[in-house]
Amino acid sequence: MATSDENAHGSADGGGPRTDLKLVALLETIKRRGRVWEDLAAQYGVTNPDPPWKVALDATCDLLAGDSLVLPTARVVPGSCALPGVQRRAEEDDLSATIYADVPFPERQLLALAHSMIKHGLLDEEELARRVKLVHERLNSA
Amino acid sequence: MSNKPHEHKPAPMVDEVSDFEALEIAVRELAIEKGLFSAEDHRRWTEYVHSLGPLPAARLVAKAWLDPDYKKLAVTDGVKASLAVGVDWINSPPTGFGTPSDYCNLRVLEDTPKLKHVVVCTLCSCYPRPILGQSPEWYRTPNYRRRLVRWPRQVLAEFGLQLPPDVEIRVADSNQKTRYMVLPVRPAGTEGWTEDQLAAIVTRDCLIGVAMPKPGVTTNIKRPVHPAVHPIHHDH
Repeated sequence: MATSDENAHGSADGGGPRTDLKLVALLETIKRRGRVWEDLAAQYGVTNPDPPWKVALDATCDLLAGDSLVLPTARVVPGSCALPGVQRRAEEDDLSATIYADVPFPERQLLALAHSMIKHGLLDEEELARRVKLVHERLNSA
Repeated sequence: MSNKPHEHKPAPMVDEVSDFEALEIAVRELAIEKGLFSAEDHRRWTEYVHSLGPLPAARLVAKAWLDPDYKKLAVTDGVKASLAVGVDWINSPPTGFGTPSDYCNLRVLEDTPKLKHVVVCTLCSCYPRPILGQSPEWYRTPNYRRRLVRWPRQVLAEFGLQLPPDVEIRVADSNQKTRYMVLPVRPAGTEGWTEDQLAAIVTRDCLIGVAMPKPGVTTNIKRPVHPAVHPIHHDH
């Protein structure tokens, strides 16, 4: 059942270190300053276990992974998707155990995704910083 | 119903924009602008994910408890059996727009009094989302993933599930194509219950296999999350 050619994953413990753990200044600022959902929910008396943006985050992760989510790892053609699912999850595991270890879930998942996207050149840190600032201004403009 | 406007008390809401919320939006917007995916695909996927939850899987179990023929179908062809609870693995989104992340082979693992199944994804967090919704945090952690396959009895005990030594435990490791859910043993004290009553006690944890259904229990336990302290390059 847990075996065989059906399981295209390979070993969970194999491979050794694989993630660029160098800090990203923007994400460190957000980590330090950002208010996590469990605190906001407690303050405002909201009972949702997850922040409303969690579903959008999951969608982003899945869409970046494309068909890599259903293909055996060895058959994922490099460049066929923006960020293969297994690679993203492996990096999330590494980042969650190290530089984002003190951040609760799903904020940790979000930081790890942004971190991976920056390290893989899918996003530029300065561009992302500008956009975060812009989004803040937009959402607070009413 | 009263005609007086604004008499009801509004539901509480978070009245501030967090840095994390802004970051999620910023990442998504830039990904769309760079052509990594389209806004339309993201909207459709988000709607799809919003619609997911553990209820269809709970209903599948309840139906199987009540109908022996349906139970046979469930354990032999989980994908086909899912149709009866409104889940179409092959034709439902997201396959409609080219991201078939959940098109796979669902296997329904039938427990017996002497056999207990429990589900994991050792590599990442593969999960039968179309029928069970999003995975809980603990399911994603390396700590659960690594320890369950080595010491399942111990891990289940931490969830409050103490199994006698003569009960065999089988761990099912999910992957890209094959996902699993557990069909637990119908508990005593549910004789004469309706499908709705039965479905209510089949919690997410029962469907993963870390709990067993019990009359009166309709919620999952809140489980603390622990780090995995051994670096992944260690030879265990």
